[in-house]
Amino acid sequence: MKIAIVDAKRLEEKLIQQLQRVNTTANDFVTNQVHAYEGPFSDVLKRNITVAQQTGLPLCQDTGMVEFFVFAGYNIVFSEPLEEILNNAVKKVYSSNPFRYSVVSEPLYERKNTHDNTPAIVHLFHTRREDVEVRFLVKGGGSENLTKLFMASPSANVHEIIELVVNHIKEHGAKGCPPLNVGIGMGGSADKAVVLSKLALTKSFDETNEDSRYAQLEDEIYQRLNELKIGFQGLFVGPTVYSVHVEYAPTHIANLPIAVSVDCYLCRKGVVRIEPHATQDL
Amino acid sequence: MNLTQLKIFERVDYTGEFLIMRDAAQKRIETLLRKNQSLPFSLSNQIVFYAGPTKSSNNRVAIGPTTSERMDRYLKMLFELGVIATVGKGKRTEMARELCRQYRRLYFVAPSGAAAALSEHLRKLEIIAFEDLGPEAVYRVQVENFPLIVATDFDGNDIFSVGSYRF
Repeated sequence: MKIAIVDAKRLEEKLIQQLQRVNTTANDFVTNQVHAYEGPFSDVLKRNITVAQQTGLPLCQDTGMVEFFVFAGYNIVFSEPLEEILNNAVKKVYSSNPFRYSVVSEPLYERKNTHDNTPAIVHLFHTRREDVEVRFLVKGGGSENLTKLFMASPSANVHEIIELVVNHIKEHGAKGCPPLNVGIGMGGSADKAVVLSKLALTKSFDETNEDSRYAQLEDEIYQRLNELKIGFQGLFVGPTVYSVHVEYAPTHIANLPIAVSVDCYLCRKGVVRIEPHATQDL
Repeated sequence: MNLTQLKIFERVDYTGEFLIMRDAAQKRIETLLRKNQSLPFSLSNQIVFYAGPTKSSNNRVAIGPTTSERMDRYLKMLFELGVIATVGKGKRTEMARELCRQYRRLYFVAPSGAAAALSEHLRKLEIIAFEDLGPEAVYRVQVENFPLIVATDFDGNDIFSVGSYRF
């Protein structure tokens, strides 16, 4: 068996570049959506994309608690501990840019700011791939507060599940800076469903589920959510959601976990891929 | 700006002053009041902007509203301290709308996720209290033509209750 080695410095550099980019440059999809929008505050949203690009100020003051999803070949080792690489990248980007330190070290008592926006949240998945893919979300706390877990009845039908999601977005969607991207995790355990819902948010806008039944479900929920007319800024004009993605997993006979996560209209997400720089025989 | 005449859905480009504070600062104010201690600044006749700025670059910071609903638990306290209006984002609770009506106070929404553009409307920004809270400290800021929309007016009318396009 061969061990493949990924260079920590090279991975860190790529991450730094992408983390800075997503915070200050709107992607093409978002830019087109904002340019097509004519409604309350549309002048400010259009101007925002230009000013962020020109000044290096972030598109949103909530520059997030960064969440990483790392897919690595099972025989890959990193030249430094993975979490250290990811946290170093975050630390460097957030301390050298006019971003906000939005992380506190402990949730309940002191809530002291860590003053470098670390730690990031890290999920690691071992696969049979030969390289490493790091997906990440830069998502604000406002949209994170809209995350919801339903432990539905295993005998619930499709329509009941659709209603759960639609009612949740109807009640709370306006608080997450719509138009939203909606990620739905189904199955697994409670915690697995929530991770799947986040993974669903890392998919590209036009990707549809490989299983045609789930693809149809994504489309149906997408149509229903846009009928809510929540609109840009929650002020009733324009689309309510950009996309709906489902990720599912096997689950227990007694369970049907349904997790909903949302991302805001800026969709600050990225993907970094890196090849091992050396291999070594075991 | 004559606050009494503003109606919901109205766009206002506001020039004047905001006090910036969010969750942690208001929690601290509540604690100080409970211990009968005095506040290090006055809230009388102030407009409170629920926000937390970024760090600065070339003397500019990015700023934007945070979710107002989280601040509803402190709204009565702010009105009792003399705050005349609040600025944030999103729908608030029924209790907040009722407080606006009862105290005859306004709630504005500011554009969310537009922090770079809003930086152009900031003039002087200074920390006035609770510096240890970092981005959650209390700041005073002078703003020029800062874009706002009236979300709840003096009569407790609320755009999120109307729930449809009225611009």
